[in-house]
Amino acid sequence: MLVPEFVPEIFCSLYLPAIYTGFIVGFIGLIGIAINKNDIHVLILTDIVGLAMLIIVGAVGTDLAEALILPGLVVELAEIMAISEILISREMRKKGKNTSLLPTPLVFDMEIMTTAPNFLSLILIGYGIFLTGFTGGAVAGGGILLYILSRKARGLPILLINGLGAISGIAWCLWIVGFLLFFVNSDFWLLSLFLSACGLLLKVASKMGLIGTLMREEFKRE
Amino acid sequence: MFELTIWFYMGCIMTIVGSLATVWGSGVNDPIVRTLNTEVSSIGISLILLTYNHMLALLTFVATSVFISLILLRAITRLEEIGSEL
Repeated sequence: MLVPEFVPEIFCSLYLPAIYTGFIVGFIGLIGIAINKNDIHVLILTDIVGLAMLIIVGAVGTDLAEALILPGLVVELAEIMAISEILISREMRKKGKNTSLLPTPLVFDMEIMTTAPNFLSLILIGYGIFLTGFTGGAVAGGGILLYILSRKARGLPILLINGLGAISGIAWCLWIVGFLLFFVNSDFWLLSLFLSACGLLLKVASKMGLIGTLMREEFKRE
Repeated sequence: MFELTIWFYMGCIMTIVGSLATVWGSGVNDPIVRTLNTEVSSIGISLILLTYNHMLALLTFVATSVFISLILLRAITRLEEIGSEL
C-alpha cells in the first residue's frame, strides 16, 4: 500500500468506509439536485454535496486533510452566501418589490452590551495575539467583532474601512514571504514560521473586523 | 467501554440518513424543513471529524454550519417576503 508510515493503522482501516460514505452522500445529493427544479431547494442540496466533499477529503486522516478542509469550508460558505444573494436580487427584480437586508431589525437592549465589551474584547484580542495563526486570528477577530457590534457609533469614514482592507492585504504578503522563505532557505524556519503565523493572525482578524464594520450599519437599524 | 470506531460508523450512518432525509424526507417541500434536515448530516460529519482528530477542522465546521443555516433561513424568509414560489 502507498501509505506513509506516520498514518495510524486505524485511519487506514477507516479509509474505505469513509470514502464509500462520501460517494453515497454525494450521489444522493446530486440526485436531489437533478430532481428539484426550484432554485432555493437546489441551493440547500448543494450544502449536502459539500458535506460529501468534506468526508472524502477528511478520510485521508493526516494534517494535510485538515489543511485542505479549512479552505474548503470557507469557499463553501462564500459560495452559498453569494448564490443566495443572487437568488434574492433576481426574485426582487422579477417581482418589482424591495426587501430589507434582515427580516427583523436587531436591537438588543442588554446591559452587557454597554459595560462589558471593552474588557471582554481586550482579553479576546490579547489571547488571540498570544495564540497567533488561524485560531488566534479567529479569536482576536471575535474580539474586534464584539467591540464593533456593541458600540453606538455609526458611519465609519471610508478611509478606515479601506485601511482594514489594506492591513489584510499586507498580512497576506507577509504570509507569502514566510512561505517562500521556508522553501528557499529553510535555515530561517523560525523566522518564516513567525512571519506566516503573524500574517495569518492579522489577515483573519482584520477580515472579521471588516465584516463587523459592514454588518454594524444594519445591526442597530430601528 | 466503547470502541473508537463506533463513533465513526455512527457518523457515517447519521450522514447518510440525514442526506436521505434532506432529499426524500417527509415535508421537504417546505424549504425550512429541508434546511433543518441538513443539520442531521452536519452532526454526522462532526462525529467523523472527531474520530479523525481534526480539531481545527471540527471547530471551523461547527462555526460555518451554523452560519450557513442562518444564511439559508434568511434567504428563505426574504424570498417569502417578496412572495415568490418556494
